[in-house]
Amino acid sequence: MSLIQIQGLKKSFQGTEVIKGLDFKLEKGKCIALLGPNGAGKTTTLRMLSGLMKPTGGSIVFNDAKKDGDIRHLIGYLPQFPVFYEWMSGLEFLQYVGQLTGLTSKEAKERSKELLELVGISDAKNRRVGKYSGGMKQRLGIAQAIIHRPQLVMLDEPVSALDPFGRREVLELLEGLKKETTILFSTHILNDAEEVCDEILFLHNGEIVESGTMEDLRERHQQAKIDLIFRKKTVGIADVFNHHALTLSILEEGNRISVIVKDVELARKEFLKLISDNDWHLEKFEISSMTLEDVFMKVVGK
Amino acid sequence: MSQWLMLFQKEILEMWRNFKWIWVPITFILLGVSEPLTSYYMKDILDSFGGLPEGAVIDIPTPTAGAVLASGLSQYSTLGVLIIVLSTMGIIAGERKSGVAAMILVKPVSYLSYVTSKWAGSLLLVWFSLFIGYLSTWYYTGQLFDWVPFGEFFQSYILYGLWLTVVLTVTVFFSASLIAPGMAGFISLAIALVVSIISGALSHLLEWSPSQLTGYASALLTVGELPDDTFPASLVGIFIIAILLWLSVFIFKKKELAS
Repeated sequence: MSLIQIQGLKKSFQGTEVIKGLDFKLEKGKCIALLGPNGAGKTTTLRMLSGLMKPTGGSIVFNDAKKDGDIRHLIGYLPQFPVFYEWMSGLEFLQYVGQLTGLTSKEAKERSKELLELVGISDAKNRRVGKYSGGMKQRLGIAQAIIHRPQLVMLDEPVSALDPFGRREVLELLEGLKKETTILFSTHILNDAEEVCDEILFLHNGEIVESGTMEDLRERHQQAKIDLIFRKKTVGIADVFNHHALTLSILEEGNRISVIVKDVELARKEFLKLISDNDWHLEKFEISSMTLEDVFMKVVGK
Repeated sequence: MSQWLMLFQKEILEMWRNFKWIWVPITFILLGVSEPLTSYYMKDILDSFGGLPEGAVIDIPTPTAGAVLASGLSQYSTLGVLIIVLSTMGIIAGERKSGVAAMILVKPVSYLSYVTSKWAGSLLLVWFSLFIGYLSTWYYTGQLFDWVPFGEFFQSYILYGLWLTVVLTVTVFFSASLIAPGMAGFISLAIALVVSIISGALSHLLEWSPSQLTGYASALLTVGELPDDTFPASLVGIFIIAILLWLSVFIFKKKELAS
């Protein structure tokens, strides 16, 4: 069942169209990643969905909205840089927000403690938020976004500001959260999206350039890829592969070359022969299917 | 209602944590009490600064208790106004600028409650500080000069409180309409100043201007009775407060919280 339908969503700032007509819907219970490079319009989209910004065109329809159009009881939102009352402690802030959303003071206290435990900052619950580190604020931000058990949780770059350990933990948190609610989160890190999400919306220059489930995407972009890693920087080598008859496209990064090929079996033979003939110092030869990153590069690059 | 109370409680607690409950009343005490003290010790003060030149005969008449109290009050319409504006200008604009307003209002929190609870919190601070400050002034005036009847003290307190509430509401209004706290403060101060000057200069035309309430309160203390225009001027004040408060909510609701 769909939770929210978006049609022709647009936003302009001083005449510049930043979001150029988005159409999509979100299904209940799914985890959807809003993926795109910096400046693609992810934050703007989330702000419009949460009601913090008014669209210049199009419609956002929540199925369970109140009669006057208020949707705030349905959503939880974490901005990219969450801000709190610095003079409150983490526990106080959560309790405050919990009570504002209709919990009794006892319920709010219990729920707050439970959430602080869940996001892993219960040791710091009585410390003032002003003294929190960036990662702790991010976690507190997640806790406040879900305190009223919203149908849809929107998180704007929830893991970008975290160190690898924090990232790991928050992703696991999202994994658990998926069972309870619908999640829409934006990120520019492909692995994160791949890891926890069922569906992906690729946003680029204010447009959805690709969308679908992980399997859909992989199938649609199913192409054989050969990764070659050389011992040294590959001057001229990439050119040779680029002009090879079996090559569809090529990506060069330092001493690594990724080649998308037509016929993987044939390419394997020919490439290996080419390498041994020229005596290039090959370190690694790998045949793989396209990762999300490759899809991302392909979609964004066109 | 319980949501409103939560918001209101938070305002009170915030003002406690940032010591507004302490420094605003203390400033109001100092502002008011300085008046009876300097009037009483004027001769000693002059002496300690070298005294009057030999042979100069300046007779400083002992002011009446009502006049001392009235000039104590007048401190509140100048420096008092400044303090109120400075301590209130960021009340909404500041939260919007930092982004915490968006964090709160993306939750099902009523805009009406959000704005009015902030207004009510500041209102309480202003009336409390004015009461403490003015009461001390009244007490010292009584000790050093003569006792002004408590009824007159209380009536003039209410009239002054009403004018300061108008100033406060103007500040809240600009804090809700503008994103820069400094700008909100500047405009509010300018308006309070201009209204006071114009009403003072054209007092026979603008008898119902709420800024006249300060003059009427002084009249009560010095002459002993309230001018007839006090009641309509109070009504106009209350009306302006209500309209501005409603407009604050209306304008604030229309704004985008993220920009």
